[in-house]
Amino acid sequence: MSELTYLQAISDGLREEMRADDSVFCLGEDVGAFGGAFKVTDGFIDEFGPERVWDTPLAESGIIGTAVGAAVEGLRPVCEMQFADFISCGFDQLVNVAAKLHYRQGLSVPVTVRLPSGGGFSGGPFHSQNPEAWFLQSPGLKVVAPATAEDAKGLIAAAIRDPNPVVYMEHKHLYRRAKGEVREGRYETPIGKARLAREGEDLTVIAYGAMVLTALEATEDLDGASIEVLDLRSLYPYDREAVLTSVRKTSKVVLVQEATRSCGVAAEVAALIAEEAFEDLDGPVLRVTTPDVPIPFSPPLERAVLPQVEDVRKACHELLAY
Amino acid sequence: MSSSPTSAGVVDVTMPQMGVSIAEGTIVEWKKQPGDAVEADEPLLEISTDKAESDLPAPAAGRLAEVLVEAGETVEVGTVLARIETGDGAGAETPSATHGDGKAEHDDGNGGSPVTPVVRRMAEEHDLDLSQIEGSGRRGRVTKKDVLAYLRGRGEAPAEPKLHTESPYREAPAEAEAEAPPQAAERPAPGGRELSVMRKQIAEHMVRSLRTAAHCTTIVEADMSRIEAARGRGSYLPFVARAAIDALREHPTLNATFEDELLTVHDEVHLGIAVSLGEQGLVVPVIRDAHELSSEGLATRIKDLAERARSKRLSPDELRGGTFTITNPGAFGAVLATPIINQPQVAILDLESVVKRPVVVTDAAGNDSIAIRPMVYFCMSWDHRVLDGALAAQFLSTLKRRIEAPAT
Repeated sequence: MSELTYLQAISDGLREEMRADDSVFCLGEDVGAFGGAFKVTDGFIDEFGPERVWDTPLAESGIIGTAVGAAVEGLRPVCEMQFADFISCGFDQLVNVAAKLHYRQGLSVPVTVRLPSGGGFSGGPFHSQNPEAWFLQSPGLKVVAPATAEDAKGLIAAAIRDPNPVVYMEHKHLYRRAKGEVREGRYETPIGKARLAREGEDLTVIAYGAMVLTALEATEDLDGASIEVLDLRSLYPYDREAVLTSVRKTSKVVLVQEATRSCGVAAEVAALIAEEAFEDLDGPVLRVTTPDVPIPFSPPLERAVLPQVEDVRKACHELLAY
Repeated sequence: MSSSPTSAGVVDVTMPQMGVSIAEGTIVEWKKQPGDAVEADEPLLEISTDKAESDLPAPAAGRLAEVLVEAGETVEVGTVLARIETGDGAGAETPSATHGDGKAEHDDGNGGSPVTPVVRRMAEEHDLDLSQIEGSGRRGRVTKKDVLAYLRGRGEAPAEPKLHTESPYREAPAEAEAEAPPQAAERPAPGGRELSVMRKQIAEHMVRSLRTAAHCTTIVEADMSRIEAARGRGSYLPFVARAAIDALREHPTLNATFEDELLTVHDEVHLGIAVSLGEQGLVVPVIRDAHELSSEGLATRIKDLAERARSKRLSPDELRGGTFTITNPGAFGAVLATPIINQPQVAILDLESVVKRPVVVTDAAGNDSIAIRPMVYFCMSWDHRVLDGALAAQFLSTLKRRIEAPAT
């Protein structure tokens, strides 16, 4: 065990998989000589050489399309989108080609696409988005979003080893903020299993990615109320059993996501709760999300739209008193 | 509460006839003290007969004038237990809610606040009048916490351990335990606690059975694959019950009672099903004429009896007259047990956990192979005074055959 940042943990997981499996390689803009925009692949080109660490042109469609071809031929590519926002340029290759090849032709496409996502540092509308919900609408893809260093490493390994295309959401705000003990060597965090970040009795907060930290901070001392925090970790498939078990226990739920409101992960989980646990509810299901707006560049405006600790506290107070 | 009656109507509260065979009852606890205002149908006291405990509702609204029989005393049916003064001003401030079957009435008793789904469900399961519960939520809304606190106050464990039906919600058992000490503190023995009326009755019955019958336990192992496939998400129990009834038809000597040196072999199967009430104890409601029911019919009856047992709504007659009993504590993972016979019956069948085990299976051509199968032990305790081991083994082997090939 050693203490790593979330960023180091992703790096460590990727490096371990590349060391263990020659078919794993990475490609993206500036991932080679520069070591990646956020330095996830720092030093990789020295260890693995330019054949396994490709600097690509500024063309997401080309990056993902190349990776899909390589995956069909038996390799396990890991694509880096410099910012999650730019995956829209590679959208067709991901949702129409990668996601559907197995359905149409029975081909396995073990591609991992890394998406540095999220706001909170004045990145503005093109460098702050959380576009995970787009991929929940694309059957054939899996989507994961770790919140801790340990899961960041375990889920990158699971994504690489999975025979399906996996979208790996890595929150930029967690890169250096989230730290924790990380196991050495190779291990896998199972896709589709949630993590109980804190056990509680009175209310459940369901979150993922950076919002897990926000949820934990917001509910650490909430007038003595016992708040359960469930970290989804996987968004598709997600851990329905864990959600329902927690809801049946506490009967009150606040869902927190940094992504914009409409048709998001929180909406999907809220719908599941309404369908499967209606008779266990002791109050309305509440969502704390970014409103349906582009992310502003101005720091006070950005703070106003992204879910803050205070927003989560307010929602919890409201529901506890319901 | 300071109001006093102006016109003196007095209504007697008497020990009710709780079933044709019941002659007397014991006062367990008074829920109201002399001077308290009572509403019609509000629980006034808890009474216990030799089979069941239940709440006795107030026959009229008014003020509890006097209590004539103290808790702990046993009196005959018809005895006057207390008197209620009725009349203008004697009642509680609000008129009593009319009791109907309609679910919507719960809303009215709650100051107009909507009732949340979980509270509505719990109110139905525990037969609660929500107007009796003080709501701590916004605008006086009754919350799940309020209901749980109310149930704990009533001494009713709100969440039941899994047994015959799934527990729909869970509650930390530690809280129920924490409530016990104040009661215990009044007792002379430090740290000691007297058993509840129900537990005392169980204790007496169990010791008497062990003293009376020559207990012997025979065990067979059965492959539950076919039932596993047929049961879907339901319990094993109704299928086992159906197979046991069929086996009893083939070996009627086990469907019998032995009392006063006389053995009575019964034509009808009145099947007792043990239902755990958590820490409070255990009751064995009886499915009358169980031989006339399919496994689906048995499943419905078992669920109904278990639910009513937990909400104390069984009539004492439903707890008598069994000819054979099945007990099923298997949800907790135990694989073997030696149950005590439910007197005056002559045998009791115990269904423990179904566990996957490697077993040798033989195909039609006689070839052996090892397969993974859901296996169970059927443990039957029987009375060696009435029958011998060979018959017990024959019965269990018939049961096994019917479990493994239920169609035949």
